[in-house]
Amino acid sequence: MALSSSSSSVSGNEFDHLFKILLIGDSGVGKSSLLLRFTADTFDDLSPTIGVDFKLKLMTLEGKRLKLTIWDTAGQERFRTLTSSYYRGAQGVILVYDVTRRDTFTNLQDVWLKEVELYSTNQDCVKLLVGNKVDRDSERAVSQHEGIAFARKYGCLFLESSAKTRINVQQCFEELVRKILETPSLVAEAKSVKKNILRPGNEPPPPENAGSCAC
Amino acid sequence: MPFSESQIEAFSSINDGSAFWKKGPKALDDIVTWQRIIRLDAVRMNAEWVPYSPSQANVSDEETSKVARKAGLSDDEHLETCRRYHAARLVSILEAYALYDPDTGYCQGMSDLLSPFVALMDDDHQAFWCFVSFMRTARHNFRLDEVGIRRQLNGTSDIIRVADPELYDHLVKIKAEDCTFVYRMVVVLFRRELTFEQTICLWEVIWADSTAMRTGKGVGEAQKKKKAPPTNDLLLYTIAAAVCRRRKFIMENCKGMDELLRECNAMAGTLDVWQMLDDARELVSRVHGRRPETPT
Repeated sequence: MALSSSSSSVSGNEFDHLFKILLIGDSGVGKSSLLLRFTADTFDDLSPTIGVDFKLKLMTLEGKRLKLTIWDTAGQERFRTLTSSYYRGAQGVILVYDVTRRDTFTNLQDVWLKEVELYSTNQDCVKLLVGNKVDRDSERAVSQHEGIAFARKYGCLFLESSAKTRINVQQCFEELVRKILETPSLVAEAKSVKKNILRPGNEPPPPENAGSCAC
Repeated sequence: MPFSESQIEAFSSINDGSAFWKKGPKALDDIVTWQRIIRLDAVRMNAEWVPYSPSQANVSDEETSKVARKAGLSDDEHLETCRRYHAARLVSILEAYALYDPDTGYCQGMSDLLSPFVALMDDDHQAFWCFVSFMRTARHNFRLDEVGIRRQLNGTSDIIRVADPELYDHLVKIKAEDCTFVYRMVVVLFRRELTFEQTICLWEVIWADSTAMRTGKGVGEAQKKKKAPPTNDLLLYTIAAAVCRRRKFIMENCKGMDELLRECNAMAGTLDVWQMLDDARELVSRVHGRRPETPT
């Protein structure tokens, strides 16, 4: 757990923005692998995610110190209402498919985009489409053109990546975060989140809340 | 499928031969989806079981190819022989289970639950029926209406509330009192947090408690010796115990569900199963002592 020790050694207060990012998509497309590559720069055979996993990443982009909380969800979504809470407050969503498995691409439209529309609490939430496993180009079943067309149609950013060979992994997260930083409503929200988190636990809640709580 | 006709007959007789087909055309869609996920999960199963199963660890290439072909496994060429063999057996048994119990079908996590049975039993039919028996309780966690999993999460929450009110207040404050952060522990019964051997130990103790509850044996004895009585919810007490043991860290550092979830998922590899069970028994005593008697 090198990551947790390194991130906890940096004070949680030393950041300008806190962003919540969600990874979604079918089973086995490489969501956890992308996250592992991004946060620990390793690649491993990973067991399927059960429920949700969570990692932290501190990065500096355009002079801003950023704390990313990245939620890695299970590919088989059986418990809809239980998992809907993961979408709450996310500023960015990464929709991942496997370029060698066409069904994982079509399911983004049929399943995952609908989930985002249904559960996302941020209207301006940035979406990034990622076609993973480009290292297996000979088995490709979804062309880059199709990816671009999909991204254009649904207003997503688009990249093709390989968690195995590192291609575009760092760029995925950077592009997404850059776009979030360009979206004033998301940045404003992230600031207010930070303020809440920094408020000491024993401080009384603000008066307007106290009023509604008492009733 | 490596099942004999008699076993297939057995499925049919128990299920009236129609549970699967009663679902109509959707049944076929479901099975195709499940098959796909089963295969993906089977080839991603870890190799922790290998030292506990010498006969399967040394399985021949020939036997493995045969079993893998029967299971229709592909994408497994990168695996070493014994893991391919294990994956193929997982596929066969999980597919059979999905047909046997089409309301549950396949849900991620079930391969984690089946793997120890497959490792410890060389016969597929034996592993299958043990798994069926095991799933009689575990299958509720996978119900689509979420009733089963909610009951377990609420149960864990109740135990923490009664056993450690201060920690519970903190959970309420950070809006985590629904205990969704222990979801993984509930669904795969600590399989991800404990080693293979520890998992087996824990499961056996949990089963022993359930047997004691069912037969009534040991209940009176525990009362006489003023020991914690057996319970059907030992898993939930064990989860609550693992959480309560980290109360200090949680109360000082976890200011949201995300941090709590990270803390819980990071327990993997750090737990002492016997300590955890001692803690769980202590919680059973504490909760039984404090909870008002429910009228029967």
